[in-house]
Amino acid sequence: MSKYLLHARGIHKSYQMGRVSVRVLQGASLDLRNGEFLVVMGASGCGKSTLLHILGGLDTPDRGTLEFDRQDVFTASDAWRRTYRSLSVGFIFQFYHLLPECTVLENVMMPRLVKASAMQWLLGGAKRTARRDASAMLDRVGLAERLQHRPNELSGGERQRVAIARALINGPRLLLADEPTGNLDAAMGEEILRLLVELNRGGQTIVMVTHDPKVASHAHRRLHIRAGVIEEAKARNGARPER
Amino acid sequence: MYKWFLAWRYLHTKLIAFFAVCAVALCVFMVLVAMSVMGGFVDKVRERSRGLLSDVIVEAGTMQGFPYYQKFIDVLMSDHRDVVQIATPTIVAYGILRVPDTTLTRPADVRGIKLDEYVQVNTFGQGFHYDRYYPGTTHLGLQRQPFAGFDADGALTLPPDHVKANEKWRRAETDPKAIADYDAEPFRLRGSSEGGDRIFDVDSTDIRAVYGGDAFPGVIVGCDMINERTREGGYKRWDPRGIRMTLTTIAITASGNLTGEAPVSIPLRLADDSHTGVYEVDVKAVYVDFDMLQKKLGMNAMPRGDGTFIQARAKQIIIRLHEGIELNAGADEIRTAWTEFLAALPVQLDLNDERSLGFVRVSTWEEMQSTFIGAVEKEKILMMVILGVISIVAIVLIGCVFYMIVEKKTRDIGVLKALGASGTGIAGIFITYAAGVGAAGSILGAGFGALFVHYINEIQALLERVHPQLRVWNPEIYSFDRIPNVVKPDDVITIVLVAITAAVIGATIPAIIAGRVWPVKALRYE
Repeated sequence: MSKYLLHARGIHKSYQMGRVSVRVLQGASLDLRNGEFLVVMGASGCGKSTLLHILGGLDTPDRGTLEFDRQDVFTASDAWRRTYRSLSVGFIFQFYHLLPECTVLENVMMPRLVKASAMQWLLGGAKRTARRDASAMLDRVGLAERLQHRPNELSGGERQRVAIARALINGPRLLLADEPTGNLDAAMGEEILRLLVELNRGGQTIVMVTHDPKVASHAHRRLHIRAGVIEEAKARNGARPER
Repeated sequence: MYKWFLAWRYLHTKLIAFFAVCAVALCVFMVLVAMSVMGGFVDKVRERSRGLLSDVIVEAGTMQGFPYYQKFIDVLMSDHRDVVQIATPTIVAYGILRVPDTTLTRPADVRGIKLDEYVQVNTFGQGFHYDRYYPGTTHLGLQRQPFAGFDADGALTLPPDHVKANEKWRRAETDPKAIADYDAEPFRLRGSSEGGDRIFDVDSTDIRAVYGGDAFPGVIVGCDMINERTREGGYKRWDPRGIRMTLTTIAITASGNLTGEAPVSIPLRLADDSHTGVYEVDVKAVYVDFDMLQKKLGMNAMPRGDGTFIQARAKQIIIRLHEGIELNAGADEIRTAWTEFLAALPVQLDLNDERSLGFVRVSTWEEMQSTFIGAVEKEKILMMVILGVISIVAIVLIGCVFYMIVEKKTRDIGVLKALGASGTGIAGIFITYAAGVGAAGSILGAGFGALFVHYINEIQALLERVHPQLRVWNPEIYSFDRIPNVVKPDDVITIVLVAITAAVIGATIPAIIAGRVWPVKALRYE
């Protein structure tokens, strides 16, 4: 297996804001190793989230390539990209983005249900396995007692842990976190960060967007987006995974 | 399969879905009620028209009737017996019915019938009141008034033939409630507790149950003519069986002239009352014996001074075809038979007879009622068009509701796309959701609609009790005394399927919009 999970080369992305075209990314490139904890930093509006969305296959660049496991993400079919989003990537959002009509357990099950075929559903296996795995995942993030609660009955930290469990349920090789602590108080933020570090120690590759240097200090590598390009800064703990 | 899961979740957690369900339910309710009542009305018109008229009618175009009717009936019953089951002549006239004891006077459509044949050609015999409890006692021959009395044990009783007939009815009656109802009000000779003394012969010293008064021909009267209709749909009968009545009518000669004599006044006795369910008939129909009326109206055969005869005349021949004979084919055969019959008649016909015969028409019951049935059918179609427009409004409403739902769910759509859901899958959630709304709404609407239609007469009675002006079904306008209240399963299935389809159509555009939502934009949506 290659030690690199992902290569982004010369990513360009601009947005049309009325009559003005805003160039957000102007040739951003990065290589991501397996098991790496990478932090992307930068000023507001510099294109951190845009980069994350492009890495996750949610957005398409104007120019540039993205290779995941040697497969070019943007020349692949829509179906491949859906599978990529569903199985290879897990998303964690700043505002959790849980489905309010569903319970905690159902939210975590959802990626499995999206993946399940009609036959798997009808035979009952898909739902049963999803329920079992989601319960186990929620147990892992310390929410075993909250399975039947609705998102609005949870604290911000708990919601984010549900979002992490949801992102991990399909065992993605890459976890993309968009300011996961940005909406939490310091204690809660620290708790979530500890969880992410723990996951990374378990071998999970993580790309996290943040503008908080304290949060960034937990990563192996820190990248800064300035004027649409990525610049590397050495992480405080410096260590790079050798996978 | 998350589509089913989320659609179900949205269906029972979203308040807005409740409004969409209500919109569908109301539309289904309206359409089902209108379709059932209008459809039931058309069906009733058809059923009752056939019940009253039988299959084929040979009718004179003039009031004075047509001759040689009996000869034609004989031809039908001998040469066309494989098609014609039975044929009977009738006379139609106009008159005034009076009940001398109460001075009640009513305009009357007088029909002279041969009762034993007439009850075989149509459903007339099924609507008799007294004949139900005393089967075989209704006839149009000479009769006196039956009075109640006391038996040897001092118990109230009726004349022996009524007692016997009643026992026969009891043995045949399968509905215990009907027997219980009779026992609660045993002397159905009067049919109500008021005016009870009139079932006894107050002028006689004989305390036995007997027949009293002079013998007069019997008359069967439409039930709305002499009885009082109750709110529950029953009748309060003030005039007992056998009460004396007078029918005054006018005789018309073979040439169509009034005879010049005073109107004919015929003393009669109430033999029974008839309920056809058609208000227009029940409020003025009077049935008397054919031969008696023919004679009284001067329509019977009479010798002329030159030794020839004026032919007896009838207004109609009512014909029932054998089961399985196609109506129009049967009518065609009878038309041909009539043409051949006319050709075979003596060459030198009386001028009046020749003219009368020229006005005779052979029609099916459908042709006779085509104007009325056609009008009602058109009214039904018009109503369906109006309701169709209302349903289109409901589709637009569902479209708006779903557009709002999609707008509100934009962020969730982004999340689902981030989790790997396809645009088709996202659209599928809202299509399934709409189908769920359609199914829930249509089942609710159909359920309440069916209940409403089933109890529509009771609901009307209740409204009428609140305020008489709230009575919406006037039998004088709609002919039938009760609102049609039959819900056809075929109608329900069609309406439910159309409602579900309409809901899906209404949600299609919002669902397509949902499927095309760009995930990044959706995730940034606040």
